[in-house]
Amino acid sequence: MKPPLVLTQKQLISGLSLILAALFLLSLFIGSNPIPLFQAAGDALLDTPSVIALIFTEIRLPRTLIALVTGATLGLCGAAMQGLLRNPLASPGLIGSASGAALGAVCMLYFGLSSAVPMALPAGGMIGALAATLLVYLLAGREAGTLTLILAGIAINAMALALISLLLNLAPSPYAVQEIVLWMMGSIANRSMDDFQIMLPGILLGWFLLMGTGRSLDALTLGEETATTMGFNLPQLRWRIFIAIALAVGSAVSITGAIGFIGLVVPHLLRPLVNHQPSRLLLASAIGGAILLLAADICVRLFPAGTDIKVGVITSLVGAPFFLYLIIKSRRSLL
Amino acid sequence: MRPLLITLLLLCLLSSQSAAQPPRVVSINLCTDQLLLMLAEPQQIASISYLALEPNSSFMAEQAKQHSINHAKAEELLTLKPDLILASEYSDRALISLLQKLGHQVETFPLPSSIEGIQGNITRMAQLLGQEERGQQLIKQMDQRLDKIARQQPAVRPKALFYQPNGYTSGENTLQNTALQLAGWRNLAAELGTQGYRAIDIETLLLAEPEQLFTSSYAPGSQSRAQQQLLHPALKRVTAGREMIEIDYKQWICGGPMVADAVEQLHQSLPK
Repeated sequence: MKPPLVLTQKQLISGLSLILAALFLLSLFIGSNPIPLFQAAGDALLDTPSVIALIFTEIRLPRTLIALVTGATLGLCGAAMQGLLRNPLASPGLIGSASGAALGAVCMLYFGLSSAVPMALPAGGMIGALAATLLVYLLAGREAGTLTLILAGIAINAMALALISLLLNLAPSPYAVQEIVLWMMGSIANRSMDDFQIMLPGILLGWFLLMGTGRSLDALTLGEETATTMGFNLPQLRWRIFIAIALAVGSAVSITGAIGFIGLVVPHLLRPLVNHQPSRLLLASAIGGAILLLAADICVRLFPAGTDIKVGVITSLVGAPFFLYLIIKSRRSLL
Repeated sequence: MRPLLITLLLLCLLSSQSAAQPPRVVSINLCTDQLLLMLAEPQQIASISYLALEPNSSFMAEQAKQHSINHAKAEELLTLKPDLILASEYSDRALISLLQKLGHQVETFPLPSSIEGIQGNITRMAQLLGQEERGQQLIKQMDQRLDKIARQQPAVRPKALFYQPNGYTSGENTLQNTALQLAGWRNLAAELGTQGYRAIDIETLLLAEPEQLFTSSYAPGSQSRAQQQLLHPALKRVTAGREMIEIDYKQWICGGPMVADAVEQLHQSLPK
């Protein structure tokens, strides 16, 4: 297949970064009430205690930052997973990492542990994500075809969802049951800088682990045997990527809930632009994921105040038709 | 002969009921439970709802312990052979029409959002129970406490707002609004045009610059995202570091004379 656009990595990354920067700024401008943003930023920088500075630093900035790092995490992890499993449908959402993370976070939050130890929340997410990912991987087998992997993913997703719903029903808080939508669809509304700080360490560690895997993933496109003879340690690579995904997706989902389809769609859209090279796809997908989630979250905020639409509704509305398109396109190989 | 006897008997029964104090009163709603416990002779109370025992929501939880409880199920209510059944206007419609069809007297009470509404409910309940004097006494005590606070109003009313889990606030036509105003606060939610209980957007809340936030926990000690929203750091910063003040839920989940407790507490938390 010929790439539709011939771009160097530098051009692609700078182009995507420009779009991301524009969306970042736009995201700060959009809220339920118009505020003079530059004055707000000025007040915040000069430590002038004003309400607009408060809205800027405590409401809009954390929301924008959380959307940015969560989107980047999902895009990056999707690209790494598709590279590792050499499977176009692998992604944190379909493989169960995200719903496993949500289950882990639910265990920690509703039964009081995370209010005593804040870091218990992302830790729960990490453990849940790792457990779900490993289960799917073991169920489907190492050389799993697309269909087997998806079926194993569906089983684990369904199991995690059922357990989340059970736990929320058993939770002491009367508000818990209504919050199942939040964990299934994901939301970034009303999060604070504290939440951002809680999710950041795991995410950064995960990114760091993933960024070094490019060359191994490139080699893996030639097949496992070839990659092994080239001197790449595949079991080590596998563990490294699974742990990185657990760290990053676990931390992100424990704050935002499972936001669907970003990890699936973004690597697909960008793959032709990086000449199908996994090492180039990683960074591009990270920026692409951040762009998609920021754009979706801006969309959510454009609805009139009081309509509490979850950001995952938008990403799924975009992602589900795309998923169908992928299925139709690869139907012959599935059958 | 027999039909005549039965008619006579029925007449006797009916007249004895309407004459004064119905001997077997059943309440199936927390709000009517509490008024019943305040006004009736203990012997009059056949059963109250299980919620009356719940210490976070029931102001009369202690007194409720002496009575048998129900779960508002038709079968258990019928075996109690009640003379009078008390319910709220939000009680199960189907259950109420079933009970009425079976010939029971069911009285439904509205949920008041004003002091006049509370007085009306007390008066009506007292009449139904044949305890008019106790009703008047209860209203008089409440009015005296509220009058005392009405005489100590601050020169400038500070700005307050109710903030509940999931970002719910109390606007016009709510008991919280009435209590805030009586205590000497401005209720920003009402000023922003909020009607009843509505979610308020956090940016809108901050821009209104409340001086004090109040909340009322329904389930203290439990955890959820909805409840965590009350811990958002921006809320404390906008009120210049003042902590959110907690008012007991049981003082106004139902409109009753205990609203005076809430008004007094709100009044005491006015900045000195």
